[in-house]
Amino acid sequence: MNKIAKLFVTFISAITLALVSFTSSFAKVEGEYIVLGSAISLTGKYSSNGVHTQNGYNMAVERINKMGGVEVQGKKYKFEIIYYDDESNPKRAAQLAERLIKQDGVHYMLGPYSSGLTKAIAPVTEKYKIPMVEANGASRSLFTKGYKYLFAVLSPANQYLEVAIDLAVEKNGGKGVKIAQAFEQDAFSQDVRLGILDAAKRTGSEIIIDDKLPKELNDMAATLAKVKAVKPDVLVVSGHTKGALTAIRQISEMKVDVPMLAMTHCDAAKLSKQHGKKSEFALCASQWHKNLSYKDKFFGSGKKYAKDFQKEFGYDPPYQSAESSAALLVFKDAFERANSFDRDAVRDALVDTEMQTFYGNIKFGPGGQNVAKPMILFQVRCKGDDCENRVVAPTKWASDKFYHPIPKWSERS
Amino acid sequence: MEKVKQKDLILYSGLIILGLAAPYLFSAFKVQLTYLCVLIVLAMTWNLQGGEMGYNTFGNILFYGLGMYLTASVQVGMFFPLAEWTESGGEKTFVHTTAQYFQGIGVGLLVAAIIPTIIAGAIGYAILGLRGHYFAICTLGLGIAAGEIAGGIEIIGAGQGFTTPPFPAEIVDAEARGKFFYFLSFALLIGTFVFVKYIYGSRFRLILNAIRDNEDKAEAMGIQTMKYKIVGWMCSAFFCGLAGGIMGGLIGYIDSTDVAFDGREMGVFMVLMAILGGKGTLWGPVIGATLFHFFKEGLWTLILGWQYVALGVLIVVIVVYFPEGLMGWLREKYPERFGEVIDEKDRKAQVELK
Repeated sequence: MNKIAKLFVTFISAITLALVSFTSSFAKVEGEYIVLGSAISLTGKYSSNGVHTQNGYNMAVERINKMGGVEVQGKKYKFEIIYYDDESNPKRAAQLAERLIKQDGVHYMLGPYSSGLTKAIAPVTEKYKIPMVEANGASRSLFTKGYKYLFAVLSPANQYLEVAIDLAVEKNGGKGVKIAQAFEQDAFSQDVRLGILDAAKRTGSEIIIDDKLPKELNDMAATLAKVKAVKPDVLVVSGHTKGALTAIRQISEMKVDVPMLAMTHCDAAKLSKQHGKKSEFALCASQWHKNLSYKDKFFGSGKKYAKDFQKEFGYDPPYQSAESSAALLVFKDAFERANSFDRDAVRDALVDTEMQTFYGNIKFGPGGQNVAKPMILFQVRCKGDDCENRVVAPTKWASDKFYHPIPKWSERS
Repeated sequence: MEKVKQKDLILYSGLIILGLAAPYLFSAFKVQLTYLCVLIVLAMTWNLQGGEMGYNTFGNILFYGLGMYLTASVQVGMFFPLAEWTESGGEKTFVHTTAQYFQGIGVGLLVAAIIPTIIAGAIGYAILGLRGHYFAICTLGLGIAAGEIAGGIEIIGAGQGFTTPPFPAEIVDAEARGKFFYFLSFALLIGTFVFVKYIYGSRFRLILNAIRDNEDKAEAMGIQTMKYKIVGWMCSAFFCGLAGGIMGGLIGYIDSTDVAFDGREMGVFMVLMAILGGKGTLWGPVIGATLFHFFKEGLWTLILGWQYVALGVLIVVIVVYFPEGLMGWLREKYPERFGEVIDEKDRKAQVELK
């Protein structure tokens, strides 16, 4: 036994040594770099959107650094981001946030992907008073908790599809509609559902199917079978990228006829590319579209951003990338206005943010959400086999008329 | 004999002192150390079934998740209406006073220990008649089912998740929260270790081993195997429930399938750690969990995006080269250090025969 004991003691002391040597100290600002930290979903169920987010961050870092960086007290600094992989798991995300702050010494955070993970990280950043600008946590409950260090460049999740219900009611001659809905069991999608419930109440609409979809989403045939039977006026589906892909795949396979199909994450799922004509007429909520007329000096217009992004990463930027890029513009602006690296000064500067970026206007409400930017709706439209997302609402930016109702499958070529 | 005990005493007091000093020595690593304590507890309790009793359970995650939800629910429900707390993804915020927070978590942990134990008894009664793979598959279903069910119960937040009460704001020290959860988990670790060590010196362990080695024979010897199997599982459930309760408070956000009934990660990790260290030994799970945690924290970030591939390789390496775990490997190499007497002549004769 005593030999084992010795072995164990050796083992423990080895670990102790390792730990001590591990306690390296990154600083918030190192030389000419301002170090930001972010836990991102590079693996797991959010990995595709996690990568969109990371690409957005990287693109902005590169652009800002190339165009002179951030000027604080007369000195130019560059951005640098430490990434960890949170594996799409809130438990891991909370732990990594702690690690970024305590071990890597990060003083400014960028958000993770998805509301659930942001919900897990926000208490940590709040505890250590670390300003976090997040671009992918839209859940309404994030902004009612009284968080002081949380800033979101996007509109809350409940606003995503409310407009779609209003549109349906309008097309129905102002009368309430019958809604069928299916949402993934996660914080974001459930929040979109709350928005629909509110809209239904407001417009006197009736919800006739209200299904929940599992997290590892690859089948919603049961819901669609019901939809076929009861014939609702609107079908609403939300479940991140997988939800959008599954919905289109099975709706076309089962030839489900609904007059209106409203979804989220169509652009992140590259629906119009992946499913082509099958996805035509799908109505999608989006935080951003490249055709909007916002501008800034770093990325120019949305169209320019889309072109540069395409060149860099080989695909059209979904709104997740655009809003992530915008988060860095917000940070840069805040650092320069604060003219200091003091966390509270930066935080106060963030509160006073009022700016235009290629992604939209940004101004934070008391809860930290962006109140200056409306949601938009686009519809997938095809010319021949070439499909594209066309903005249909709000009317200010609409390039196309909203096509309603969706033709029956038997009439579609 | 006396001498060995003295050595043990030195070892244990050394470890306890290290444990108590750790949050001050490695202040930045408090959360990871808390995770380590919880991981060791999970590995040790899994070892009671998987290692000692020969019943490979994937169901212990059920008790862990239950403990998490129970602690948080009690902590909130004692002072505020729980339904309003979780409604609409937790939009409303009630603030716990310092006293309320600690009273709540105290009572919550108590409930989180008792209820999973009772449930383990009930489920055990129903399914511990299954043996081998059938039992493993059945318990695998338990964890998955629990996750899906919890994801549909509105009062605990359903798919929106459950934000546990934030640490009282009146305590200004930003380190206090980390220390609190560390010491809580360290206390749990000591409790678990003392309990398991006690079992290792008792007849109970021999019975569990008898069940593992040949259940029919054990029954023929007059042992009521069912009774012991159930009690064994209830013991694990007790500590798993507590571990879950502590983790829920530490993470701050409970999600049904990703945090609470996290069979894909925690459920697999606890098995892996026990096997890595050597199942059926007292120290095996402790060493396994420690090594695993260090591997995970130290290397995973170096191989961003590939960590699960590395984990797969690790599993293959363990299974191929250390089928008996680290302790088993050591035991084979240095049997005399484990108190086993070897007849050198016999060993040589055997080698020559080969």
